[in-house]
Amino acid sequence: MPIVVNLDVMMAKRKISAGELAARIGITPANLSILKNNKARAVRFSTLEALCRELQCQPADLLEYLPDE
Amino acid sequence: MNWSSKNSIRLSRLCVVLFGAAALSILASAPWLVKAFVEFSRAALKNQAEALLLITLYTGGIPAVYILWQLWRLLENIQSGKVFIPRNVQLLRRISWGCAVGAVICLISGFYYLPFFVIAACAAFMALIVRVVKNVFQQALLLQEDADYTI
Repeated sequence: MPIVVNLDVMMAKRKISAGELAARIGITPANLSILKNNKARAVRFSTLEALCRELQCQPADLLEYLPDE
Repeated sequence: MNWSSKNSIRLSRLCVVLFGAAALSILASAPWLVKAFVEFSRAALKNQAEALLLITLYTGGIPAVYILWQLWRLLENIQSGKVFIPRNVQLLRRISWGCAVGAVICLISGFYYLPFFVIAACAAFMALIVRVVKNVFQQALLLQEDADYTI
């Protein structure tokens, strides 16, 4: 999929673990892993909002469009 | 899952058991049943009707028992909360084909005893209904996957 989730980059920048972030935004670690590994088919605005709030960033910092070769 | 839907599944499973018991007892007592049927029937049955009826009953019994077994497994999955899974689509496909096989057996049997044509039509229609339900399950499976991967 050409949309890439750069969650791991942002998590590394903010020095936050997957378990802690999952607990803070109210999703399971398994679902956060799906998101982090680009396996998700869709992201809810509420999840994106919570991620931006906890990681203090903009949606564009988390999502990137990479056209297929 | 609420109380009534749990009981509804239990009732369905009980019905499958009852149908299974009925099917097995009919198959076990088929020679006597067929004899009694030929003796008391007012239909103009040919000489070999008894043997033919037995063949129909025994060959038709195979898909019938197979369908009931697949239904039992389907209900087992539904009861454990696994509704929209690929396995259930496969089970519904098997049930549909089982009905189709039953329809073919009855269609062939209709040539020596006309009422079998009616049963063949019913079985074919049932196969079609189950096939449509299978298609619905297949689409629901895709929706379920989308929902599972929406974070």
